[in-house]
Amino acid sequence: MEKVCVLGVGSTKYGKLEDSISDIAIQASVGAIESAGIESKEIEAGYISNVFGVADKQVHLGPVVMSNLGISDKPSLSIESACGSGSVSFREAFANIAAGFYDAVLVTGVEKVTHTGTEWTTTYFSYCSDFFYEGQAGVSFPGLFASMARAYINEFNATEEDFARVAVKNHDNGLLNPKAHLRKKITIDDVMNSDIVASPLKLYDCCPFSDGASAVILCNQRFAKEHGGNYIDVIGSGRGGSPAALQAREHLTTIPSTNIAAASAYKMAGITAKDVDFAEVHDCFTIAEIIDTEDLGFFEKGKGVEAVRDDQTSLNGKIPINPSGGLKSKGHPIGATGVGQVVEVYDQLTGNAGERTVKNAKIGLTHNFGATGASCAVHIFQRV
Amino acid sequence: MEKQKFIAHAKEGKILARKCINCGNLHLVTVYFCEKCGKKAFDDVILDGQGSVETYTIMTVPPTGFEKYAPYAWVVMSIDNVDLRISGFLPNIAKPEDLPIGTKVKISGFDNRGIILEKP
Repeated sequence: MEKVCVLGVGSTKYGKLEDSISDIAIQASVGAIESAGIESKEIEAGYISNVFGVADKQVHLGPVVMSNLGISDKPSLSIESACGSGSVSFREAFANIAAGFYDAVLVTGVEKVTHTGTEWTTTYFSYCSDFFYEGQAGVSFPGLFASMARAYINEFNATEEDFARVAVKNHDNGLLNPKAHLRKKITIDDVMNSDIVASPLKLYDCCPFSDGASAVILCNQRFAKEHGGNYIDVIGSGRGGSPAALQAREHLTTIPSTNIAAASAYKMAGITAKDVDFAEVHDCFTIAEIIDTEDLGFFEKGKGVEAVRDDQTSLNGKIPINPSGGLKSKGHPIGATGVGQVVEVYDQLTGNAGERTVKNAKIGLTHNFGATGASCAVHIFQRV
Repeated sequence: MEKQKFIAHAKEGKILARKCINCGNLHLVTVYFCEKCGKKAFDDVILDGQGSVETYTIMTVPPTGFEKYAPYAWVVMSIDNVDLRISGFLPNIAKPEDLPIGTKVKISGFDNRGIILEKP
């Protein structure tokens, strides 16, 4: 297996963007190519992730991106795996580099939905659930995670204030990220007093709907060394699945696909959760970050809330979680999120994270899932 | 095909399930291979659509088509006497006091809102 590296990254700001879906995808891709210090013609394939291109009148984004990079002859794959599309796309690219099919590829994730409004997004996002049992019966994604939150409160020693702490922490981090969508300091009271979306989750427990695009150049180690720029190693890659419907899961307070993906990624990297210096995890809702940090093995089941109370997951804590601000503050352009997490890890491990730098970090982890974790990918990166 | 049979039973307040002949694992009828042992031979089992609330949410920002029902609950129900759950739409729930975890609920029908639950 070839060793795989991230050679360069690019990203638009996350938030409400004016440019079209293809324009922002191209902007992020050009940024990644320039950051990598390569020519576009050195890219052998493109992996382009997106969910709701239909909302901005452009699906089959792969060839559109490649054509505007002057490499219309190169193959591309347009990938949808709900909110996990970006990491699934990254994984396919990783597998193809590792297998020796390509030396260098482009991975771009993009989403453009804010112009559609809350009702459209709430409705269309619900199509990512197991629709027969969930979306059809009137539950939204906030509602599905709210159901997990209620199960968590019922099973463990946790309160709604504990969930609020996750939002406050991620907003503190996002304030230090110039590309974040919601750059605003908030308090526990702000969260507790915000409108209920799906009880027990309130508006400030939820990540925003965002527009945005992120891109990375992935290559083998030989290609990275020849080009001489800053690169980081991808030392672990794992994927897993969970029952699509919450009702079919053994436990309602754990996401099996995270366990499976993490175990596989840790094994490939030859490390354990204890060796990870920081992580970008899928905090689509505050409860999700708590469950993620337990499922990834950073804390015991039911102890994720205590870790947040004790500031262990803050920027200067034992294991900083979501230094970028996470989906909660940085934003969640669903097709881009998984790629954007890799951009953050690259920036952290190459000294480009500015004020939000995690001190002395050598190993970073990304965790991104689709829907309520029906599909999941975990990747582990190491500073060179 | 199996889904149509499932819906017909739900309309009668029943749950059509299947038990693996090889290992005994119980699934909803919409599963075609045993999750536990992988075999494809099952006996149909008709369950009473009764159980208790394992978790739920009260929806106040609903998707399209559900505005007129809000607030309402979406419930994950643990089916009585078996290790199986089902979820569905439960109208007229406005606050958590209306639906403590453990509340008895049952299937009252199936329509364009999927499985409909009620408090007996």
